[in-house]
Order: sequence, then C-alpha cells, then structure tokens
Amino acid sequence: MSGVAITGWSAITSAGVGAEPLAVGVPVPQDVRAMFDDPLPVPSARALPGFDVRTLLGRKGTSSFDRATALAVVCCREALRSSPVDLDAGPHARTGVVLGTSLGSFKSTSDYSRETLVQERPYLVNPVLFPNTVMNGAAGQVAIRFGLRGVNATIAGGPLAFLNAVRYARNVLDRGYADTMVAGAVEEFTPHRAWAVQLAGEPDTAPAGEAAAFFVLSRTADGGSGARILSVATGYGPGGTMPAGTALTSCVGRALRQAGADSSAVGAVVTGSAHPDDDREYGPAVRALGHHPEHVPARRLLGDCGAATGAAALAVVLAGPALPAARPLVLLTGRGADGAVGAAIVEGSGDERPDRG
Amino acid sequence: MVRVAVTGLGPVSSIGIGAPAFAGALRAGRSGISHITSFDPAGFPHQNAGEVHAFDPGAHLRRLDPATWGRSSQFAAGAARLAVEDGRLDLSTVDPGRAHAVIGTTSGESQVVEALTAQIVGGGFGAQDPGLLRQLPANRLANAVSEELGLCGESLTLATACSASNYALGYAYDLLVSGEADVVLAGGADSVCRWAHAGFFRLGALAGTSCAPFDRNRSGILTGEGGAVLLLETFEHARRRDARILAEVLGYGLNCDANHPVSPDERSIAECMRTAHRNADVKPDEVDYICAHGTGTPANDLVEGRAILEVFGPEPPPVSSIKSMIGHTMGAACGFGAIASVLAIDQGFLPPTVNWSEADPELPGIDPVPNTARPADVRVAQNDGFAFGGNNAIVMLGAVR
Repeated sequence: MSGVAITGWSAITSAGVGAEPLAVGVPVPQDVRAMFDDPLPVPSARALPGFDVRTLLGRKGTSSFDRATALAVVCCREALRSSPVDLDAGPHARTGVVLGTSLGSFKSTSDYSRETLVQERPYLVNPVLFPNTVMNGAAGQVAIRFGLRGVNATIAGGPLAFLNAVRYARNVLDRGYADTMVAGAVEEFTPHRAWAVQLAGEPDTAPAGEAAAFFVLSRTADGGSGARILSVATGYGPGGTMPAGTALTSCVGRALRQAGADSSAVGAVVTGSAHPDDDREYGPAVRALGHHPEHVPARRLLGDCGAATGAAALAVVLAGPALPAARPLVLLTGRGADGAVGAAIVEGSGDERPDRG
Repeated sequence: MVRVAVTGLGPVSSIGIGAPAFAGALRAGRSGISHITSFDPAGFPHQNAGEVHAFDPGAHLRRLDPATWGRSSQFAAGAARLAVEDGRLDLSTVDPGRAHAVIGTTSGESQVVEALTAQIVGGGFGAQDPGLLRQLPANRLANAVSEELGLCGESLTLATACSASNYALGYAYDLLVSGEADVVLAGGADSVCRWAHAGFFRLGALAGTSCAPFDRNRSGILTGEGGAVLLLETFEHARRRDARILAEVLGYGLNCDANHPVSPDERSIAECMRTAHRNADVKPDEVDYICAHGTGTPANDLVEGRAILEVFGPEPPPVSSIKSMIGHTMGAACGFGAIASVLAIDQGFLPPTVNWSEADPELPGIDPVPNTARPADVRVAQNDGFAFGGNNAIVMLGAVR
C-alpha cells in the first residue's frame, strides 16, 4: 500500500476550531481590531479573535504560551482525539511530532528583542518567555502536553513547510524511528505578521491570516479517516523563476510516479496562490498532469497563513465533499519566494473513494 | 546496504575558516571568544561571545548576493561552499536532482529580526524595510545552500534549536541510505544576537568571560555563531570519483524529553544515546570519543555526564566540549561537533576542553581531555546534541572500515 494513512486530523482557521466548522462553512474574515494594542494594517483578517487557550486547555501550563504555541497545542489535541492514539495512555515513546513554521513566532522573538532595547537594563527580559523565541518551542510544548517522546522536529519551510513536514514524517515512519507522527503546520495572526505580509508580500498577495492544521500519520490505517497521503516530493530550482517552475513540474511528476497514480485521476490542484489565475504553481502542475483539473488557490480561501496555508487547505479539502470517483486525487503544491517547490498527492476519504487495497 | 561517507568539511568558525585552520585551532586549544561587536553590549554585565570576525561573504560566495541574504544564510552557504571545495567535488559532475541541502538552526536570521525590531521601536511597524522582511524566513538557510551550489534536491531547514544540525545530519543520512541522494550538504548555522544573550543571562546560564565545561566551577555558556556544513555522499558516489573518505556516518538517534521546555532530562538523554548506538549498530565499549553537548552550564554538564556514566559505566571514553573554544553556536553547534569528530577520526587526536581547572566531584570518571589536545586512535565517535524543547539528537561517526 503506498503512502501513509491519515488516522486523524484537525484544523484551526477563522471558521473555528476543528473539522466541523470547515464542513459547514468557509473561513471568512473576522474583525481583528480589538486583538492587539499595536496598530494593524487591516481591520479584518482570516484570524480567530475569540481563540482563547485558557478556555480550551485551562490555565495550568499555558500561561507562557505564545499564540502560535497555543494554536499548535490545541490543534494537535483535537487531531489526536480524532485518531486511534489514546491520550490518556501516555507517555508515547513511538509517537512524534513534526511542525512546520516560517520562523516560529516573529512576535515572540521581536518582542523579546524589543525588551533589550526599551528596558532600563538590556537584560531585563522575562526568562519564562525565552523558549518562545526559539522556533521549536511549539513542538516541544505539544510533546510535553501529550507525552509524545518520539521524534520531535520543527521545520522552517515557509510556504513549503507543510510539504516538508509530511516528507519528514514519511521518512521517520519509513525508517521505523516512530510508529505515529503528528504532522502539520501553524502560523499565528499578529501585528508583526500582518505588517510583514502587507509590506513585503507580492503585489497580488492576500492579507495575513492564521491557521493550524495537523494530521496524525501512520503506516497502517487502523481506525483511520480513510484519507491517505500517497506521496510527497520536494525540490529546489536554483537561479530564478524559470528553473523553479521546471523544478515544480518535476516534483509533480515524481509525486505521481511515487503514488503509482495516473495523472488523469487528479481532480483538483490545491496551490498556495492567492488568485485562480495565478499560474506560478498551477501552470507547472498542469505541465506535469497534461490536463486542467479544478484549481483551488489556498491563500484566497484562507488568507496568507504562511507555513500553515497548505496544511489548512488540505483540511478544507478533507472536510469538503468527496471528489468524483473517476478523479479522486488531490494534488497539493507549494512554491517559495526563492526556488523551493514541492507537491503531494492526497486521496480523500468519502463514499466514492475507490478501494485501493 | 548503502554506506554514508563524509568527504568534505566546511567550518566557518571563530577559531578558523576552512578545515585546516579549524583543525589547527582545535589541536592548539585556541579560544575564539572576544568582546561583542555585532551589537552594542553596553549595559550587559557579560560582554563576550564567539563571533566570527573573519568571515567575508564576498570572498566565499560565488552566486549569492550578500545584500539580499541574512548573515545566517551566508554562513550556511559559505560553509557549504567550503565543504565542497574541501571534498574536491566538481559539482558539474553531480546529478543536481540527487543533491540536497539540509541545514539546522536555532534562531534563523536572528540579526534580521533584531534590525527590524529596531525599526519598529524607532518608527513603528510601517517603518520596516521590505528588503529586510524578505530576508526573514528561516527556510532561506537551506535555500541559500541550494542556490549557491545549484542543487535541485530537497532544501530543508530544520529548526530544532541547539541539536538542529544533528537532526540535519541524520536526515541527510536517511536520504543517502534510502536511495534518494548521491550527495547531501548538511550542517547548521546561526548568528550571535542580542536577545539570546539577554535570555541566557536571565536564565542564569551565561558565563562571565570564558566557558569551562565539566569544570567544577563552570558558570554557563557563551553564545557563539558560525556555519558548519559537511559534505556527505554514498560510498559508491565517493569511490566513483575517487574522493578521500574522512569518516563514515554510522547512524543516529532522536527522541524527545516531553518533560520541560529548557531543563535537560537525564533518563531521556541516556535513552537517546542507546537509540543512537542501536541504530548505528555500535556497542558502548566501541566508542572512543564523545564530542559532548557540553554547554558549560552546571545543569547540562551534570545531566550529560551522568547519562554517559549510566550508559557507558564507570570508565566512559574521553568526553570533551569544543564549546569551551567557540562558545555555543546554537544551530551550528552539532555541525561543529561533527566536524571535530571527523577530524578526530581522520587525524587521530582528541580536541580538548579548554578553560578547565578542577574536576567536578559529581562526575567521577569523566575525562574532559583538559586543556590540551591528545593523540588518540578514534574508531568511533559520538556527537551529542540536546536542545530546548527536549529535542535530543546524537550522531555516530566512525573510521572507514
């Protein structure tokens, strides 16, 4: 059997916490003006202003969490609860985590750096918050919360982070280093990210949003959701726009071969694009596929959720209606600002899913 | 079974740039610690770090424009370029799709974060320089290596803090043994920054002037920086091009404490050592040298030393910490440890723990190779890496059999 089984998953988007809100509605912009003291470049964003980690997890152990950590811990809990992993039976020596990010929490690091500039003495920083300045803080807290002692990795991949995380998880499972990997990505909405997207994003970009989505992956499908990630391939096209496009076409080709899938079975291409007519990912994908499936531009759906855009888009797809039986596969693509590219082939669950044995 | 060769070393360190300079400094027990210049340390009680003053990006980088890449990315790409040159690898003979870049880091482009923060403090969020914002994403560290060397394989930045370059070496090993790769450039990079200096000071983990791992009176780390990249190949690829094989990657082990965000966990670290030994098919009595995580904090060295005694018994192999010379280079630390281990194997010496004066009575049997390098026949070396988040990673390296 090719690929890895998704034995549970969850997501947090502006639609709410968990899979159910995505099944009944799409993430829409929310009024974010009251979220922060600092000014924001936009009055609304695809964020979740009402998300409160204390309500969801309690006070104990959560007071030092930054927003990204809180989103990751809550999302992983929901994903694990929907999977065969028994959270009460920990610690789990053979269950690990791989978390995708862009640079951890820009807000946590920048605020910490700010303290060294504005305090009376430059060292008057809060030691309890120091781990939040390190990119693996969120994955470490997920492990602590649920007793996950297996391979614990954080990957800084930006738009590729989710595909990188799935690729990394797949390797861990294939090599037998762990039996179960919770793989996903998180990105918080903060003034820091909102301004960064506003000031440095491409002209046609979508405004910043926030999301987390995690998928419990294993080699065997016991108790699974029925969905599978059949293959994933990542690469790099050095030297500019053209080589990166070629590299993406090559990744899609490799992903199809690894999956043992015919390109005609791909019913939708989920890209990181902000517009349906943005061809930076869809174009190279179509060159590999040889036909034009439906294009789902994830940043249009979700806002610019950085590292979490692809992960949350997969959650939207899994929560939605099944693709037709003749074209049951979803191609997920990613493309970075430099030359990083990647692709994954996902088979959804649902009644029309053919039996792949 | 596919075997993994180390064929080139690329250290960009405070004690030397390039393998010959770095090896000479390790043998001499030279210190790379100096008064901080990359930020104004005024107001900090402690003002020393292991900065790399001699790195000239323009001289080391052929394709990357230093104006558009942050310092950590430049370290990574410069170190990778050096590793390729050290290994005499003609990149035009390599299948670019089977050549990958895997780089570990703790804080990515931390100096870019700090420059942007100064702009926010000075003029508000809207005053940030878009060019600097584009340098911010940490994935650029691996991307810089791919771009500089023209590699089309995976370009992966592992952000597992201070063990990250052991994660990178481990993933590189897997890419090679699973048939995905001919060549991987793997290691790590980080830059000295103000916020980490402040944070470690407030944790009570920052030393005053020098770092003295395993010494009874050790007082903490000094932050450091640099890039440390190794050229890894399959034996088949290395032999086909008649490359000199410096050492073999035997395997690695990872686990997670799942216990505390910053405090190391003896039980978990011992378990990680056993996992690394099992994956590498090595027995404890075959290990000739342990390149310690050895940060120089009272807690780390005690926990690491006890875990070693638990796994190896009362007479463990020599355990030294090169952090005594270069400081804690964070995401590059395990890369430097791996390079030091490969040099130990290839050149037959143990790097010393400098600044050492008195044995720690709580660590009986731990031989830190005090102050002076020592000739030794190293057949198997263990390179330790532990991190915030409980991210333990240990890589096993061996002489070519």
